[in-house]
Amino acid sequence: MSTSDTISAVSAASDAPVAVWSQIDANNAKVLLNGNVNVYSLGGVWTQIRDSQDAWLKQGDSKSKSLTFDASKVTFLDGAGIAFLIGLEEAQTTSGAKFDVLGLDARYEPLLNEFNPISNLFPVPVVKPKRSFVVSTGMAAQNLIDDAVGLISFTGHLVADLAWSIRYPNQVRWGDFVNAAVQAGIAALPIVGLVAFLIGVILSFQAAIGMQQFGAVSFVGPLAALGIVREMGPLITAILLAGRSSAAFAAEIGTMTVNSEVDALVSGGLSPIRFLVVPRVLAGILVAPILTLFADIVSIFSSMLTMLIYGIPFVNFYNGMLSAVDIEDIGSGLIKATLFGVVVSAVGCLRGMQTGNGAAAVGISATRAVVSSIVLIVVVDGIFAFISYKTGF
Amino acid sequence: MDMPNKPSIQFPNKSPFAIDVQNLTVGYGSNVLMQNLNFSVNYGEIFVILGGSGCGKSSLLKNLFGLYQPLAGDVLIEGQNITSAVGAQRQKIMTSFGVMYQQGALFGSMNLLDNVTLFMQEYTQLTQTQMDLLARCKLDLVGLLPYESYMPSEISGGMQKRAAIARAMALDPKILFLDEPSAGLDPITSADLDSTIQDLSKNLGITFVIVSHELASIYAIADKVIMLDKDAKGIIAEGDPKVLRDTSKDPRVHQFFNRIMSKDAA
Repeated sequence: MSTSDTISAVSAASDAPVAVWSQIDANNAKVLLNGNVNVYSLGGVWTQIRDSQDAWLKQGDSKSKSLTFDASKVTFLDGAGIAFLIGLEEAQTTSGAKFDVLGLDARYEPLLNEFNPISNLFPVPVVKPKRSFVVSTGMAAQNLIDDAVGLISFTGHLVADLAWSIRYPNQVRWGDFVNAAVQAGIAALPIVGLVAFLIGVILSFQAAIGMQQFGAVSFVGPLAALGIVREMGPLITAILLAGRSSAAFAAEIGTMTVNSEVDALVSGGLSPIRFLVVPRVLAGILVAPILTLFADIVSIFSSMLTMLIYGIPFVNFYNGMLSAVDIEDIGSGLIKATLFGVVVSAVGCLRGMQTGNGAAAVGISATRAVVSSIVLIVVVDGIFAFISYKTGF
Repeated sequence: MDMPNKPSIQFPNKSPFAIDVQNLTVGYGSNVLMQNLNFSVNYGEIFVILGGSGCGKSSLLKNLFGLYQPLAGDVLIEGQNITSAVGAQRQKIMTSFGVMYQQGALFGSMNLLDNVTLFMQEYTQLTQTQMDLLARCKLDLVGLLPYESYMPSEISGGMQKRAAIARAMALDPKILFLDEPSAGLDPITSADLDSTIQDLSKNLGITFVIVSHELASIYAIADKVIMLDKDAKGIIAEGDPKVLRDTSKDPRVHQFFNRIMSKDAA
């Protein structure tokens, strides 16, 4: 059902206009109200009468003009009717003209008196001064610095509290850890599996099309497997974790921040990082490498299936893979995945704790969590690539 | 409470009661909170629902204005059954009343003025300037005129509640449902709010259905109260609050109105 249906349904009772403008002579005019004057029946009529009033006030000297608001035929007047009266009165008084009310039932007077003086209802619009380029650039820079300081400070606290969790493992909230691990890990298996499978297929096809021209299709297996284990597996998993879990952590902790639950922890002498962040980061550390290993296996399997189309049997693929991929490559991928897990879960928690007020702020935090996670994943990946190049690991 | 000044206001939809509740059973699934409730609210009346915490007052309120479907029974708003209404008919009934939720439930992404004008934009043909004036009137009634451009997150909890009342009044509904309007307000603001509710009831004939615990406010404004009880799963007292306070023989009612601690009563 459309909104217009509702409007016609609720305003159908009033066919005749509830207010009529009539100009008696050059200086006198009247607004005659009739029947049930309410927020629906005034639609359109209000504008017509205000237009007539403005046109009339502009002719000649407005100070000698007088408008009568005749409410003697009103059966019911609601708050909108009173606002209509106030609107007409304000237009009269600002141009120095007179305004009289006739026949208004005494019962509306207490309500009308609530709005005295009516000038309060017509505030002068405040135009916000535009920020200069220098000021807005400065503020943007300040925000960046504040964000960096926040990140560094949070990292410091997190490292300290992770060290504490190793020292006092009994005090870690393992229930929260298990919940977060199940949500971020087991629940993510289907989507990680699907994406990993498709990435394996796409990677092998693309490589095979190019390699076929040089008669080197048999090298696709080792190439794809190496790419998956060292780069694609950890990266896909981390990006999916950023989209799923980082956003979930930010939204969950963000809602707690909005509801003052985080304040309640602080005022109760508990560290929100120890209480909320540590279990989630530990869960991230656990699930990221496991999910990555799962993604590696699924991707390599889908790559094997794809290469069957090009006549490479499983055994040949497997032997080729063994010649190219060694345990160090897998280890390197898993270490990277663990770092990604820390980054993704910590950033999600950080953004959640930085949430402002209201429902919109939770949405902003979740968005910032995903964006920051992905940026940091790429940064960490770049640093890792450089270290690998230098050390040969 | 005798209200000699109440005018008889004509409404297009003639029905003996503003709200008529017939054999209403309130609950969630197999958890029945209230059974076989029967009561009616007259036009222009300030009707207060009382009861201890967790007895189902807010749930009953949500059943009255059709947010939740009752387990059994009917609620007639101005003679129209909201329980069975669907589509356009239901939406028409929905526009005849306003609701203020316990926590305010203001839209966080809009300032106070926009919160109040939202429903006007959807249901009326007024221009933005007219809607703004109307919304300022509503905000003025609840004492929030200077805060029209504030976001809900920038004002206190009590102010959010008052803004929510202003929003509930946006379309000048004939019935207003208020869930604990004066809880958390300072005594002066609370008294101002009571006076506004009385003015609206007396002068515009608005019917109020209020869930409240505030005894001072209840004595000041309520024409009629019903008291619910968790164990009885129904109404244990009905009538004028002052009369109930002074004359009720039911120990639960006496205890409630005279603020007697549970261990003393036992």
